[in-house]
Amino acid sequence: MTNDAATATSTTRTTPLPEGTGPGPDQELPLLGLGASLPPADARAKTEGTYPYAADLWAEGLLWAAMLRSPHPHARILSIDTSAAVAMPGVRAVVTHEDIPGDGAYGRSVVDRPVFASDLVRHHGEAIAAVAADHPDTARLAAAAIAVEYEVLEPVTDPEKAFAAEPLHPDGNLIRHIPLRFGDPDTVGEVIVEGLYRIGRQDPAPIGAEAGLAVPRPDGGVELYTASTDPHTDRDLAAACFGLDTDRVKVVVTGVPGATGDREDPGFQIPLGLLALRTGCPVKLAATREESFLGHAHRHPTLLRYRHHADAEGRLVKVEAQILLDAGAYADSSSESLAAAVAFACGPYVVPHAFIEGWAVRTNNPPSGHVRGEGAMQVCAAYEGQMDKLAAKLGIDPAEIRLRNALSTGDILPTSQTVTCPAPVAELLREVRDYPLPTLPKDAPEDDWLLPGGPEGAGEPGAVRRGVGYALGMVHMLGAEGTDEVSTATVRVHNGVATVICAAVETGQGFTTLARQIVQETLGIEEVHVASVDTDQPPAGPATHGRHTWVSGGAVERAAKMVRTQLLQPLAHQFGMSTELLQIADGKITSYDGVLSTTVMEAMDGKELWATAQCRPHPTEPLDESGQGDAFVGLAFCAVRAVVDVDIELGSIRVVEMAVAQDVGRVLNPSQLATRIEAGVTQGIGAALTENLRTARGLIRHPDLTGYALPTSLDAPDIRIVKLIEERDVVAPFGAKPASAVPVVTSPAAVAAAVRAATGRPVNRLPIRPQAAVAAPKS
Amino acid sequence: MQSVTLPASLDEAVAALGAMPAAVPVAGGTDLMAAVNQGLLRPAGLVGLSRISELRGWHYQDGHALLGAGLTHARMGRPDFAALIPALAASARAAGPPQIRNAGTLGGNIATAAPTGDSLPVLAALEAELVIAGPDGSRREIPVSHLLAGRDMLEPAELIGFVRVPLLHAPQVFLKATGRTGPGRATASVAIVLDPARRGVRCAVGAIAPMPLRPLEAERWIASLIDWDGERGLAPDALAAFGEYVAAACIPDQAPDDGGEAPPLPPAVLHLRRTVAALARRALGRALS
Repeated sequence: MTNDAATATSTTRTTPLPEGTGPGPDQELPLLGLGASLPPADARAKTEGTYPYAADLWAEGLLWAAMLRSPHPHARILSIDTSAAVAMPGVRAVVTHEDIPGDGAYGRSVVDRPVFASDLVRHHGEAIAAVAADHPDTARLAAAAIAVEYEVLEPVTDPEKAFAAEPLHPDGNLIRHIPLRFGDPDTVGEVIVEGLYRIGRQDPAPIGAEAGLAVPRPDGGVELYTASTDPHTDRDLAAACFGLDTDRVKVVVTGVPGATGDREDPGFQIPLGLLALRTGCPVKLAATREESFLGHAHRHPTLLRYRHHADAEGRLVKVEAQILLDAGAYADSSSESLAAAVAFACGPYVVPHAFIEGWAVRTNNPPSGHVRGEGAMQVCAAYEGQMDKLAAKLGIDPAEIRLRNALSTGDILPTSQTVTCPAPVAELLREVRDYPLPTLPKDAPEDDWLLPGGPEGAGEPGAVRRGVGYALGMVHMLGAEGTDEVSTATVRVHNGVATVICAAVETGQGFTTLARQIVQETLGIEEVHVASVDTDQPPAGPATHGRHTWVSGGAVERAAKMVRTQLLQPLAHQFGMSTELLQIADGKITSYDGVLSTTVMEAMDGKELWATAQCRPHPTEPLDESGQGDAFVGLAFCAVRAVVDVDIELGSIRVVEMAVAQDVGRVLNPSQLATRIEAGVTQGIGAALTENLRTARGLIRHPDLTGYALPTSLDAPDIRIVKLIEERDVVAPFGAKPASAVPVVTSPAAVAAAVRAATGRPVNRLPIRPQAAVAAPKS
Repeated sequence: MQSVTLPASLDEAVAALGAMPAAVPVAGGTDLMAAVNQGLLRPAGLVGLSRISELRGWHYQDGHALLGAGLTHARMGRPDFAALIPALAASARAAGPPQIRNAGTLGGNIATAAPTGDSLPVLAALEAELVIAGPDGSRREIPVSHLLAGRDMLEPAELIGFVRVPLLHAPQVFLKATGRTGPGRATASVAIVLDPARRGVRCAVGAIAPMPLRPLEAERWIASLIDWDGERGLAPDALAAFGEYVAAACIPDQAPDDGGEAPPLPPAVLHLRRTVAALARRALGRALS
């Protein structure tokens, strides 16, 4: 088992995990190391509520921060008068754009976002000032007492009008344009289908709202305690705004209460740090739910126009598409999202000719940024809608037409990148198609039926139609287009206990559990701790795109192997054999022939072993001016079959079952993997049915969890993990593919396909509105 | 917050409010505390009603049930209550997740008077009367619809003490349409109450207007079609016509511009009208089945 990772990279193995609940009956899973369902070390504390999140932090003499945010989506600021706030008893500092010692703007890829709006506000909720006071209510009242005189301007809220509108920003309204050209533009298919699709604004809606504590340091620096998911970038951005060297700013990552997008972006951290530097006191900010909705980035609302050409057998000939991403007022990660949208615009299908125009534009709508599966999720809903249209037009079964076009290893993407990783797309689809359908409830007592609308709802069996739909999705893993991917990890072993030090943030994706398993596997040590993260450690990159499973996991494995060599070298030397012939398991070291047998503790002889290693995957290149290039390190695929019940009179929809087959490379932790897939499917159902942060002329209408309906346990269907295909990806450490994002990408399209099948309606907008799921009963 | 009072009786609570007019009464707090947390409300004092045991149950009076305003949704959802007033029990079971139903009360639902308050169309259909407690032990009664329509308001230092609901011993149905399978606010709701003694059908539509709407003509028309002494059933066509009648009464066509055809309703409004029609048809069908 120890050498499995090194030697088995080319083997193909598939493990069925019936119902996603764990191992198959005839398989014995290890209790430790890779392949074990090791529970997270902090599970108990989190369940019992004793785990300290940033909102629980406290420091002697701390002050409370509150932000003043713009009530307008677009306005000129004529004046800001803070005197009333400053004069309030208990207020210790008020900061605006005039009080920023360093850079006044920040941004992850483009520095275009002001810390505090100075002359213009460009979206509802943009920060204008921040207050520190000795009581949270005082801070809130003081923020409200700041008098801002606005000249309200007409907001640009339709991304299609952004091209011709007056520039909203000195950088112009076009953030990026990718005109992908692949193949012959004059090719025409025998059948052509067209569609217009709209995808709404999904919010990452973390279960814990943003919070942080800033503590000034005696050397004039500041420490930021927050649930950052990208601590080193955040530190660099914050330091530039504070006018400090990066070694005087430290970001300490506290527990992350849910992150499917970026968390605690610098927009929260910088005002907090400024207030701490200004007052010399610790300052705490705990955002309300409303502020959380206003302050963080959302999924890009997207408008997509498609034209698919196919031959009479349903084989794709050409895809033409226009994709328009509404980036909101600032660039953030829109460029990356657009690259993914354009590159995956045709989905995991073989398309000989593709002409995709993609734009990301500025508007006065709420800001868009990274939410997992960005770009890929929006196009999946559109290209799968097109596949359903083609199937209907040609009279071919929807699963069959997808199989005829399925991508596999060796095929070429429309970016001219050859798919070198495992791509078992057709096999995934066959698995979900052939899985038995859930039974209709007709034989169960009527009281037990869970109809659309819920247990106390108005659903009536006679009006309910069942539909089955399929979708295939793909995502890229790690940063794209030449991003330098690198992570550094240190492994220390002392007294039979191992410690991992790595700045990879545990966001719930399971990195800390995985790191423990890797060390257990390599060193045979049961007790492994993972140190908490701060920016004194070397960078590991943002906790997105499956980076930490791959890059940080790879770094941990290398460091552990180096420790292994340090540990075994003296023994091997003594017995005249190579370290490869020694095995570590259950704290014992044994040689291949059984002659040598000692314990790890004895071999350590009181020594402390340390090793640090890096992992840097092979480089990628940016897409060129016609959207061509090897932009992605790796790809992951998923097939979903959705079964829905629709009350065709009310248009209410219940997802009955989601059958998932996924390309995972290798299962490293079965229960954690199943959880990630279930969470991803559920987030996808939210995007399909209810999650849309609605705006009216740029104003967010219901920034609360009543207006923004997340799926509850009643909304979540039975999720069947039908098959996990373990075809190892040779370039990935352990051969494993990150698994969280691809079910989010694929599930909404599958639900839309199933509603289409149930109602016969086109379903070209997500989330699906009830009026789009109403149908005339068939007589 | 200056003061919190926890009176043990209704009259004590009224006296506490009289003594401190700026204080706000609070029962379950499911709406009030959300407003406080949002910073929309900053009460100078609170008069907590949760310890007033006389408000947490019900008793009977002249063929009516006198329901304490402090009855929680969870209590009203139980089978013994459902046997008395089935539609009110159904609306209580549909009123949000268990945490909300355990805390939220009947009186609070009326006092908040949110358009989506699930008990309100049921109370309107039942033609419930409110027993309002005032200073010095005074009591007055007003129809629930008068309070919801703003025709009669609570005076300072008055509290909703009880809700008088007729015991009709006949089928009642409450149906609500929501945007998801889990608990959610109603996009539209319909309560249907049969009153065999008066040979009446009473219907109220909730969540589509600031207060529940009563389609009185539709009620009278359908009641005239029912064979009250026989099977009480109606043909599917009649049920469907009733649904359309109710929906058109509650969501009327827009007035034509200049005597011509009425302009078409926006798609979302049209969908709402179809939803009301389907709910009313289904509710009456279930009540008569």
